[in-house]
Amino acid sequence: MRLIKQQLERDGSGTVTLYPEEPEDMWHAFNLIRVGDTLRASAVRRIVSESSTGSTSSSRVHMSLTITVDKVDFDSQAGQLHINGRIAEENKYVKIGAHHTLDLELNRNFTIGKAEWDSISLGVVKEACDPAEKAEIGAVVLHEGLANVCLITEHMTVLRQRIDMSIPRKRTGSISAFEKAMDKFYETIYQSILRHLPIANLKVILLASPGFLAESLQKYIFAEAVKADNKTILSAKPKFVTVHCSTGHVHALNEVLKSPAVIARLADTKYAKETRAMEAFFKMMQTDEDRAWYGPKEVERAIEKGAVATLLVSNSLFRSNNMSERRRYVQMVEDVKASGAGEVMILSSIHESGIRLDGLGGVAAILMFPLQDLDESDEESEAEGSADNPGDGGLQ
Amino acid sequence: MVLLLRRRKVHHIPSELSRCDGEEKTEENSGCRSTKRLVYFIFRVRSSSIITMVGFSSSSARTTSREMHRYPCHSESRLDRPENVNDRVPSGFWSDVPWGGVPVFRLAELVPPRILVEGRTTGLLGGSSLQPGKTSKLAALAKARSKAKAEKAAGLTSSDAPQSTTAVSLLDKLSKKKPSTTPAETPAPTPATVTPIPPAAGTSPEPPPGEIMPEPIVVQTIDIPQIPAATESDITPKASPSGFAKSMFGRRLDEMLLDLDDKIADAQLIYFSVAPSQKAAAKAKQGFEGPSPDDVVIAAQSQSKGLNKTQKTEKSTAATTTSIQKGIDGLKIGEPSEKPTPPKIARKKIDVVAEYEKSKSKRKENANLVVIGHVDAGKSTLMGRLLYDSGVVDERTIQKYKQEAEKIGKSSFALAWVLDQTGEERTRGVTIDIAVNAFETEKGRFTILDAPGHRDFIPNMIAGAAQADFAVLVIDSSPGEFEAGFNIRGQTKEHALLVRSMGVQRIIVAVNKLDLLHWDQDRFDEIRQQMTQFLTTAGFQSKNMSFIPCSGLTGDNIVRKPKEGLVPWYSGPTLIEELETAKPVAKAIEKALRMTITDVYRGGVTNPVTISGRIEVGNVQVGDTIIAVPGDERATVKGIEVDNEAAEWAVAGNNVQLHLAGIEMDHLKIGDVVCHTDSPLVPLREFEAKILAFESLTPMMIDIHRGRLNASGRITKLVATLDKGNGTITKKKPRHIGPGSLAMINILVTGAPLPLEKGSKIVLRADGLTVAAGVVE
Repeated sequence: MRLIKQQLERDGSGTVTLYPEEPEDMWHAFNLIRVGDTLRASAVRRIVSESSTGSTSSSRVHMSLTITVDKVDFDSQAGQLHINGRIAEENKYVKIGAHHTLDLELNRNFTIGKAEWDSISLGVVKEACDPAEKAEIGAVVLHEGLANVCLITEHMTVLRQRIDMSIPRKRTGSISAFEKAMDKFYETIYQSILRHLPIANLKVILLASPGFLAESLQKYIFAEAVKADNKTILSAKPKFVTVHCSTGHVHALNEVLKSPAVIARLADTKYAKETRAMEAFFKMMQTDEDRAWYGPKEVERAIEKGAVATLLVSNSLFRSNNMSERRRYVQMVEDVKASGAGEVMILSSIHESGIRLDGLGGVAAILMFPLQDLDESDEESEAEGSADNPGDGGLQ
Repeated sequence: MVLLLRRRKVHHIPSELSRCDGEEKTEENSGCRSTKRLVYFIFRVRSSSIITMVGFSSSSARTTSREMHRYPCHSESRLDRPENVNDRVPSGFWSDVPWGGVPVFRLAELVPPRILVEGRTTGLLGGSSLQPGKTSKLAALAKARSKAKAEKAAGLTSSDAPQSTTAVSLLDKLSKKKPSTTPAETPAPTPATVTPIPPAAGTSPEPPPGEIMPEPIVVQTIDIPQIPAATESDITPKASPSGFAKSMFGRRLDEMLLDLDDKIADAQLIYFSVAPSQKAAAKAKQGFEGPSPDDVVIAAQSQSKGLNKTQKTEKSTAATTTSIQKGIDGLKIGEPSEKPTPPKIARKKIDVVAEYEKSKSKRKENANLVVIGHVDAGKSTLMGRLLYDSGVVDERTIQKYKQEAEKIGKSSFALAWVLDQTGEERTRGVTIDIAVNAFETEKGRFTILDAPGHRDFIPNMIAGAAQADFAVLVIDSSPGEFEAGFNIRGQTKEHALLVRSMGVQRIIVAVNKLDLLHWDQDRFDEIRQQMTQFLTTAGFQSKNMSFIPCSGLTGDNIVRKPKEGLVPWYSGPTLIEELETAKPVAKAIEKALRMTITDVYRGGVTNPVTISGRIEVGNVQVGDTIIAVPGDERATVKGIEVDNEAAEWAVAGNNVQLHLAGIEMDHLKIGDVVCHTDSPLVPLREFEAKILAFESLTPMMIDIHRGRLNASGRITKLVATLDKGNGTITKKKPRHIGPGSLAMINILVTGAPLPLEKGSKIVLRADGLTVAAGVVE
């Protein structure tokens, strides 16, 4: 994404013009555009004109439209952003208040106008326009009969294909059906990799499975590539890494990304950092649970006490349509930053680590020192629960 | 379709014939001029074309029309008529003409024949266009029919005239009918009769060589001068029956013809008008009672296509076409709402519960045992030994395995190869998936489920444990190995906890590899003491635990007792004796059927779709309609195999293979639950579960396991922790659940809903660890 123009007033309102270059930029735009913002982008609209004789003719007209956003819809699979709204600026074809859905397109400018550009939003713009080299990785997590082919970019994890096949089990005296099915399974994955992963652009291609499947898959891939003389695959041979994980479900990516083999290669990428942070949080939860808290109320109290060492926030919270709620989280982030001691990580809600965080309510904190009873007020209404030390809850 | 027939002495085909409808085809046989008698058929097949068929009385000469081949006839197949007709009526002729609604393009108009009697003007032969004032013969026939129907309703006619009327009775009827006058409304008192359609019209334009042409006997035997010219209806010339006539009158006609051939009958006996008298129509009408052959076929076809299950072939003689129409209407209404039904397979309505009670004494009870333990404890080898020593596996196979295993330097794995059959398992020396084997002793039948010990394959082990009645926990007693399996991440503990949480109560601990320790009693006692303590905390009762020293590799104390003096300190039972004391758990066989599919495969040529599994609850019998939840495709149980023997029924606890009909393999997935259609499981998307946590739980992503089922899900809410003793809530909304605590949690399934119901036992895993086990609430 390129920042074309930025015009901010003192009161925080203003407009920003951006030029999206790659599909991931749509994700950033999705995180920027809120209900109530204005958005100006090029559009094609069908105009029906009626002649004096009453006959109608319709034509498609290219124009720039400014709309007030009603609804934002992001299709992560296709990398498309559809923004539904009402026309805010009239032109000769369209009246104010008419509805229009803008589909943001790559390589076409769009301008976002906000009444209030908060630090998070500006942070997103900055991050989106960061020209640092992007590390994309492909990952296939599989177990017998199930494989997920994913593309992990800096900010997104996109499930490109899910392969779910029924594999006959081994039976006494008859293993041919099983072996045939496994062959077909590998073949399907191989084809899916060829079709869905831009192998040449990827930094690493992870093959992860329990047991020996990943190794077998790797063998199969190269055997096939040699047979078909597929240069792309053969030249990318060093990029293929097999990793152990416990299942073939997508959430196994968490496990994959924290494995030493992956960390060694991808240590500096954003998603590896996010994964590590989440891992640290869960570890803290098990070892010293008074230093790991999640949930908005609890974290807010911890921030009040200045105890937060790492604040983990999912960016889904900043997409909230509720203004005051959004402000609340922005405030939390700003408070931690202002305290100077704490680190803030905003996790992408479509990475696996972000999904994990969303499971915890979207916000979690690792504290510098143990704090107890942060959730006490929640329990007040519950007569018997409030008496207990909440910290003991899990240790009984 | 009405035929116009004419038998006449002609010298040429009238030129008008070709003009009569513009684009007709007239095929003239060069032999026609020399032939004495000719029969014309005129088919109005399309409004634009009239086909004239010219047949010659001589048996060798005949003409077929091209159009005839386009509408081949196979009415005989729908009429249940004997074979002698089959070769005369081309097949497929009526295929597109349902009885109730003749398509417009098949409608033909009946054209009165031009009677080329001397002294009469030679008019035009052909369609109604030339005689505009007249209604068609078909209309006349229909009218006659409806009249006859009305008559019949008034009880004027008797209803007994089954189709299989003998020739004699028909002849009687015909002879009675003969003098009757043509009904007034019949426009043309048509002296039409029918001739046989030249044979094999449906298949080839020329009859296949060697096929004997059915003789148009009629024409040969009857001479024109014999025909009295009293009334027009009486001059009806005779001809051999057409396919149409055959389809209507079937065998009677043939018998008639045979009679004729014998010159028994008077020529006029076989005259029947296409536009018959009322009485005759009424008689003919009786052939139309009940469903027409077409209707029968259509009904059958629609049933076979699974389009219809409600319509039954109307058999009653009283049934009229309206009732058929009603049936068809009903069918149409039913169509969209009805799911296609799998083919019906006779259900014997066996009272399975009673049968089971009866056969109880006769049969040996089958018990499933799962073999569990840490990786490389020797589970597969122990079971291989057990199968070998009990004679399930023959000497030759073992020798073969030994040789092959030696080749790749794994000679000690030979016995395990009995169970580890895939290439990967053998080369790596690790069991990956459950191996199922059965063996029988004098006292009982056992099905071994050999579970993998490697922690990566615990999902497979869970699948095995879910089917087990009791467990054999194999422990490697060699120094360091027992401890490795017994530490916090070892599978000895994990497996034991898993089988217990899946409801297994009885556990036999086989302390293996004692031969390496020279049958050291101290080691055995040490293991026994530690394991007893652990198993007690895991929830096994001490009376349900037993410890057996053994060696899988040498085979001591498995099937045979160890050599005298080898293990002086042990005098208890061998492993197999101990197994025999274990009784299968009683199952609820009368409840609604539940069976988790453990495998879907092609069971052979006759059984393209076979599923296997262990019936958890309820019973099933051949002919039952089942549904595999969460799918909603129905299937019929075509056959049942219990322990690889065909059976009529099966009950909970049986390891069965169900051969299914009416379903594609794609609709069945491993992990689906088979239910009867009347008591299906409702798959769940979100549910509450009461769980025992083995690891720390927070709201997080988890794998949900239930038997073969392996799905991903998310803990959405920690509802409460519970007191282990009395189950009361100790804390609501805990922040996390520590290891060892009992809790209520909410789980959201990430993908499609899962076939779970209240009481289903589930295992939750995350990051390769079993984090909790519990029950769906």
